[in-house]
This record gives sequence, C-alpha cells and structure tokens, in this order.
Amino acid sequence: MINSILLIDDEDLFHLVFEDACSILDITLSLEALSSSDEADKKFKEWFPDDPHGEKPECVFVDLNIIGSSFDGIEMVRKINFEYGNGCVVGIISSSDDNQEIEKAKKAGAQFWIIKSDDIEPRLEEFKNDYDGYKDKTNPFKIYK
Amino acid sequence: MISSKDTVRTAIIKAKSKRVYIEGNFVKLLAKSTDPDVKEYVEECKRRDRASRRKRLDITKQVQKQNKELEEAAVVKEALVIELQNALDEAKTLRDEAVEDLELMQKRTQYELIGTIVKVALWVIVGVGVLTTAMYGWAIASGTDTQIIGSTWSNMFGILLTNAFSIVGTIMGVKYATEKD
Repeated sequence: MINSILLIDDEDLFHLVFEDACSILDITLSLEALSSSDEADKKFKEWFPDDPHGEKPECVFVDLNIIGSSFDGIEMVRKINFEYGNGCVVGIISSSDDNQEIEKAKKAGAQFWIIKSDDIEPRLEEFKNDYDGYKDKTNPFKIYK
Repeated sequence: MISSKDTVRTAIIKAKSKRVYIEGNFVKLLAKSTDPDVKEYVEECKRRDRASRRKRLDITKQVQKQNKELEEAAVVKEALVIELQNALDEAKTLRDEAVEDLELMQKRTQYELIGTIVKVALWVIVGVGVLTTAMYGWAIASGTDTQIIGSTWSNMFGILLTNAFSIVGTIMGVKYATEKD
C-alpha cells in the first residue's frame, strides 16, 4: 500500500472518482487532492528541503492540463524532480495520449502516464502492482492505457 | 453513547448494538481482532464502506459522463449557431443581390419603355413634320392657296420642335435621376 498520495487535478469530480477508486483497490489510506499546480507548488516549497512535519507525499499524480493554474502538469513534474529534490514517485494522469506530450513528460522525469477514462480502476490496480518498481526506480516509464 | 473512558472494544460493541458503522479509511486501520464480535463488526464496516464507495464511484462517474456529454453538446450547439449565423449572412447577401438584380431589371424595363416612347414620339414628330412639309410643298408646287397650310406648317413645326425638346429634356432628367439612385 502506498503511504500517501497527492493528486493535482482541476476537475473536482475526478477527485471523488480517484479517492473512491483508491479506497476500493486499497491503494492508499492517505490521499490529498489539490485543484491547481500553484497550490501544489506552494506545498512543495514548504516541504523542501527537509519536510519538517513529514507531510511530503510518497506518490504524486498530476493532471496534464490544469485549468486555472500558472503552469501545466509537465512543468509541475519537472519542478518536483529538478527543483524540489526528486523525493517521490511522480507521473501524469490525463485523458490525452498525445505522443509529443508523453515524450515531454518523460523528459521532465515522469515515471508513468495513466490515461483517464470511465474505467480507471483496472489501470490503477496495474499501477499498484508495479508500484514497488517505481519506488526503487527500477521500473521503466510506462503508459497505462 | 460512547464515552472517552470506553476501550476500543467496548466502543465497538456499543456501536454494533446501535447499528452504527465506521466509514472511511479509519476502519482499515483497525488491527485484526480475535474477538468474534469485534471481527464480525469490523468486517461488516468494511463491507458497508466498500459498497457505499462503489455506489458513490458509480454515481460520480455517471455525473462525470453527463458533464462531458453536456460539454460536448455545448460545443456542437456553438458550432451549429456559427453555421446558422453564416447561413443567415449568406442568405442576407443573396437577398441583397436579388434586390439589386430586381432593381436593375426594373430600371432596364423603365429604360426600354422610355426608349419605346421616345422612338414612337420621335417617329410621330418626324411623320407629322414630313407630312405637313410635303403638303405645304405640294400646295406651293400646285399654286393653290398656301395661307392656311403655311401657317399650319409653321405652327406645327413650332409645336413639334417644342415637344421634341420637351421630350428630350424629360428623358435626360429621368435618366439623370435614375442614375443617381
């Protein structure tokens, strides 16, 4: 089970879907959902470099297009990896499967790409099974279609 | 009621007797118990939590799907409105062109009518002029009295010339006015 997850997504309804799916699949007990990358950036600034209250999430799911934010999901991933110490598993969760964006995400340090759809549970379950490999950085980049 | 002095077990037994069930991830944190009552209660809580989450997930997905459909319908509607606006603009242009054509046709008909009137009027003027002149010439040649025909000829010529200029003036005026429109 993943200790804590942070979801960054502008769609509030998806927060509920993700939370319930994670609970049903026993993926995590602690899930925080934020609606903008600016909020997430602020949090990561607080957690960097030594995370005084041990609040930094173990895994971060970032939406590709976060409407109403100063920067998109790929930039958020890049910041987490290159500005805030690369201390967590991080990937993109999006309804897009654009190859150019996927390549950009890979370059920014994303470890996975989950495609959002009505049936998200099987992908999350597959991700859960692969998770240890992401944690110890042995898994290659993977797209969950 | 459960009081702060109650142990976890007592609290659970109290909750069970009142058919109150723990919801959320907290229930997953409870350690496995050997006590059959507690074990049964925790399992029931988990089952209920899972069922309610599944229900909520299905409903949320349904709402999400409906939202997506509404968004798509809004996009289609917007495209239709644009298409309709374009069709309306095109129809307006066509109507303006048709009105212009109609006006042009009316003008042409007017010109044609005026042309016919002018031709007829000129032919009448020329005809009357020629006839009167011929009669006047014949009267002179035959040596008959030319007093009446002479004055008739000069009067007739004066009237005909005046009318001819009047017709030409009217035509020019009409043409000028129509061109200005």
